[in-house]
Amino acid sequence: MARYLARRLLLALVTLWLLVTIVFTISNVLPRDVGRTILGPFAPQESVDALNERLGTNRPLYIRYAEQIKGIVTLDFGESFVSSQPVLPTILAAAGRSAKLAGLALLITIPTAIAAGLYAARRRDRKVDRAIVLLGVTSWSIPEFITATILVVVVGVQLGWLPVLATPPPDANVLTQIRYLLMPAIAMAIVYFGYIARMTRAGTIDVLQSDYTRTATMKGLTTSQTMRRHVIRNALVPTVAVIAVQIGYLFGGIIAVEKIFNYNGMGATMLFAAQRKDLPMLTAGVIVIGIVYMLATLTADLLTAWMNPRIRLDASR
Amino acid sequence: MDYSELDKVRRRTTPLQLDAVESFARGRLTRREFIKRGTVVGLSMASISAVIAACSGTTTSPSASSGGASAGTPSTGASAPAGSATAGGTIRVACQRPAGPLDPVAMIDLASYGLTAQTFEFLCTLAPNATDIAPGLAESWTPNADNSVWTFKLRSGVKWQDGKDFTSADVVATMERLVAAGNSGIKGVLDKGSAVATDPLTVTMNLVSANGNFPYLVSVFNAQSLITPADYAQGTLADKTPNGTGAWKMVEGSYDIASGVKFVRNDAWWGGKTPLDGTEFTFFDDTASMVTAYQGGQIDALVQFDVLTGAPLFNDANFTVVDTPTTNHRQIWMHTDTGTFADKRVRQAFALTLDREALIQQLFKGKGELANDHVIWQHYPYFSDTVTQRAQDIAKAKQLLSDAGTPAVSATLQYGRLNEIPDLAVLIQSQAAAAGFTITPAGQDNGPFYDSQWCNTTKPTDPPCTGNAEFGIVDYGHRASPDVFLNSAYKTHGVWNASHYSNPAFDSAFTEFQSAVGVDAQKAACAKIEQISNDDTPIVIPYFYNYLSGNAKKFTGVYTCALGQMFLSAASTA
Amino acid sequence: MVDVIVNPAPPAPMAAPAASERAQARRETLRLLLRRPAFIIGNIIIISWIICAVLGQRITPYDPFNDFSAGHLPPSPEHWFGTDRIGRDVLSRVMVGSRDVLIVAPLAALLGVTAGTFLGLIMGYYRGRTDDILSRLVEAFLALPVILVALLTLVVLGTSPLVVVFVVGILFTPIVARTVRSAVLSERELDYVTAAKLRGESGFFILSREIFPNVLGPTVVEMTVRFGYAIFTVATLSFLGVGLQPPSPDWGLSVSEEYTNMIAGIWWSTLFPALAIASTVIAVNLIADSLQSTLNE
Repeated sequence: MARYLARRLLLALVTLWLLVTIVFTISNVLPRDVGRTILGPFAPQESVDALNERLGTNRPLYIRYAEQIKGIVTLDFGESFVSSQPVLPTILAAAGRSAKLAGLALLITIPTAIAAGLYAARRRDRKVDRAIVLLGVTSWSIPEFITATILVVVVGVQLGWLPVLATPPPDANVLTQIRYLLMPAIAMAIVYFGYIARMTRAGTIDVLQSDYTRTATMKGLTTSQTMRRHVIRNALVPTVAVIAVQIGYLFGGIIAVEKIFNYNGMGATMLFAAQRKDLPMLTAGVIVIGIVYMLATLTADLLTAWMNPRIRLDASR
Repeated sequence: MDYSELDKVRRRTTPLQLDAVESFARGRLTRREFIKRGTVVGLSMASISAVIAACSGTTTSPSASSGGASAGTPSTGASAPAGSATAGGTIRVACQRPAGPLDPVAMIDLASYGLTAQTFEFLCTLAPNATDIAPGLAESWTPNADNSVWTFKLRSGVKWQDGKDFTSADVVATMERLVAAGNSGIKGVLDKGSAVATDPLTVTMNLVSANGNFPYLVSVFNAQSLITPADYAQGTLADKTPNGTGAWKMVEGSYDIASGVKFVRNDAWWGGKTPLDGTEFTFFDDTASMVTAYQGGQIDALVQFDVLTGAPLFNDANFTVVDTPTTNHRQIWMHTDTGTFADKRVRQAFALTLDREALIQQLFKGKGELANDHVIWQHYPYFSDTVTQRAQDIAKAKQLLSDAGTPAVSATLQYGRLNEIPDLAVLIQSQAAAAGFTITPAGQDNGPFYDSQWCNTTKPTDPPCTGNAEFGIVDYGHRASPDVFLNSAYKTHGVWNASHYSNPAFDSAFTEFQSAVGVDAQKAACAKIEQISNDDTPIVIPYFYNYLSGNAKKFTGVYTCALGQMFLSAASTA
Repeated sequence: MVDVIVNPAPPAPMAAPAASERAQARRETLRLLLRRPAFIIGNIIIISWIICAVLGQRITPYDPFNDFSAGHLPPSPEHWFGTDRIGRDVLSRVMVGSRDVLIVAPLAALLGVTAGTFLGLIMGYYRGRTDDILSRLVEAFLALPVILVALLTLVVLGTSPLVVVFVVGILFTPIVARTVRSAVLSERELDYVTAAKLRGESGFFILSREIFPNVLGPTVVEMTVRFGYAIFTVATLSFLGVGLQPPSPDWGLSVSEEYTNMIAGIWWSTLFPALAIASTVIAVNLIADSLQSTLNE
């Protein structure tokens, strides 16, 4: 187990290093004058040169790259090119916001989707099942910016039930925060419901048809006992894997939703940084998202191994 | 007509001021125009009202229509509510996201203008009627006989937010900074050493050459001319070191370009105690989100919005819409020295393909006015109606193109995503196609557009924003006098001369305008300016559009300059 | 949209079927597919959009680029879907908008699937050092959401339809590679592969003639799924302003240009392009779904 963890950790570090290198390459593809971008077109050339000296933007590529890596290792992400404020607090704040939204979305989606999936699998091929499958396919096909727009107009503006801008006032209590985040969370939940429900349904059907379930039934266990002890644990294996992969997306990829709700999560922050060619912010953001993804997949793997001991022994993946 | 009263005023005036008085007395200026003109040339309110009284035989005071009393403050203007006992509260304002750092000298976008104007002030500020200038940090100003030397008397008792006293040294330092940066309004008007502090509360401006409109150039209409402290080094950013004289103090650390900024009342402000406790600005990337936010109850005021996405606001009974004709316009620049548009005939042909009325109807639902490819707005007192309004003429356009030897022209039209500009680009493409132009619109977000198409921040040029792209659309905010437009976009080596336009005839017509004494002389110069601009067509200007701004009815006393500065010092919850 | 990971069918236990048997199997699959309503409906929708894309302006009631009526007219007999804010007919624009989507998205999907299959075959068959290194790269790419990387790259490199195809295609490659790799892993242990190796066939031969036809099933399903995802991604990128540019009638772009007017009660200029996107993605997913169920039986 310890060896397994150590190996995963090492691989994770390699992946993070790759991410940083990719961002560095993409950002340095085009020539640009960093000092000039920060100070604007009307600043005198001497100020621009002085700033470039200070930021060290004119040194050769490999030196800047080495500095970048060194900085990250010592957790010094530098200052933003745009605001000259330290990058780390901004990124962490944005990460916190994204985490809250993603967390709420998962909280809504997972129980409902899994329940729906299990329910559908038990009544396979009956009307209810077909309805749930169809609902799943439909809801997952509609891009989230469309559901978000409709929600804003119908629920936020016409009915006025929920606030339209997702950023709650500072020091709002938990309930108020949930109220503000509810609409974007629902927009995201609608998309994921379909997918997770179907994965659960597929996994459950597989398990229901398997030998050990039949054995359990023949041994005399009731349906609910069977479900509890055997089916659910094994059926959820693919679901857990899928949720883990989606966490990265929920965390950093829902830029359209953030735009519609004017919410400053990771997606919006990164987009802004890219437009302003703010390399320190971009790098920090990419690393944070990478770490979140690694943690999510690691947790999923551990969870899966716990749920299904047979998988523990298969190390060939 | 009370000649004795009139004479009293006449005896005290300089030639420019005298001309204004005479024009009014002879009926060549309306009362409104006279008040505006008189304020600019430095006539005191007392003199103005005396003249009006003398000429109309009644003792009407002009303060009701012009708002700003000479020694008073904007907050005691006509718009202050009676019984302002309902003090307190915060107003939440929606504005565009600043396109760059908040550098008072180097900023070029309307959002930055609006934010810096909260903590900093101008020598000549905006009158509450939102179209004239009124005394700000300068209590009064007078020109000499030929308008080449202007003396500004500064307000006393003003303090910087860090506690130091405001003196003429600060004004002089600000002027020097503007000269060094090549500011669009000041360039060529002031030089190093032009501004002199004759005593702690008086500044004498020795202009490079005579200019009858000088006060506009140190007013709210030259957004970068905010007075900053003497020790403000070049490149100091307002969000890091906000130290102004204004009514609002930036809350330390609250400026976050990703979300917004907060201000609180400046207790030491010379204008008294603002009714509201504070203001909160939230940044948006598009007006639609602002409107949605207002409807959701999270925003009280919008600095500016456009007619289509703001449609719900017009019908909203709880929202006050301010709809004013202004000189806001879009400039479609074309390189005049090299490239596709170097031949004047090609540019004229392009200008002739546009159906300007249709553009105003489609883009602004009619809330705009025709423009004739020059910047002399028809409501300026010196507008000369000698140039025929250009209208769509596809046949003539085709003729010009074939004369120039290029019956088919193709070009890429660069633009920044701001308000209706993307739609303008699409309509231009469609209209110009009829005459043989194949235009490909290429858009990007406004900040990057300024950085790489209008200016060139990767390889800076001198002057800085001289059209990296050969063909593009850029936005211009309202100016109460065309000096800034002419100086920066048309004059040779102007700082915003994206067309690389250089015409000595134009430059001398502009100088003539600046040194003209009297409305008639200005008109004559403008006739030349209009004719040359319209003929050479370095820039196509299809329309001037109205400025739309507004706030929830529960707030009164809000007034906004069409250049994006929203004045909240007199605002209160009614 | 959400990432679908295709589970390949369990492998058949026998030797590779002969060519004629394969053809017969394909015909049989097609017959089974045609019995599923989901497959039929999906195809009807897609084929209708393809017809719109191919015939383009020849069948639209108005010129989608140059015919201007009054702005924001509600649906009426003259304009079935109403007009947009500068007066262009929405129905015509929706019909022609299918062209951009049906060119960019399939190309991106094709690029992703081709590159990914190639990569997956190599990784799965050769294992060892190559596989380890490539797997690390694949993991790295998978860590970041596709939309985010596409957005950042397009912002930095500038946007054009070609760049969009390229970027989206490259970003799909890792996930396709992973799926194909798992499929190959299952196949390579089988007898027919060992037989081929004993015969002395080169790796390339084994990959292309023996293994590849047997992983074709999951690859095809993957292709249709990627197609749906590509439509989704391109629509979102256009919505965010880095995909296709005005005056393109692309659906995602139309939604981003018009959705703000929904507050003013102008629903038609947003709803119809949105439904177009949704219908296409649903159709593609229905087809993918049917394919997957049929091939797994």
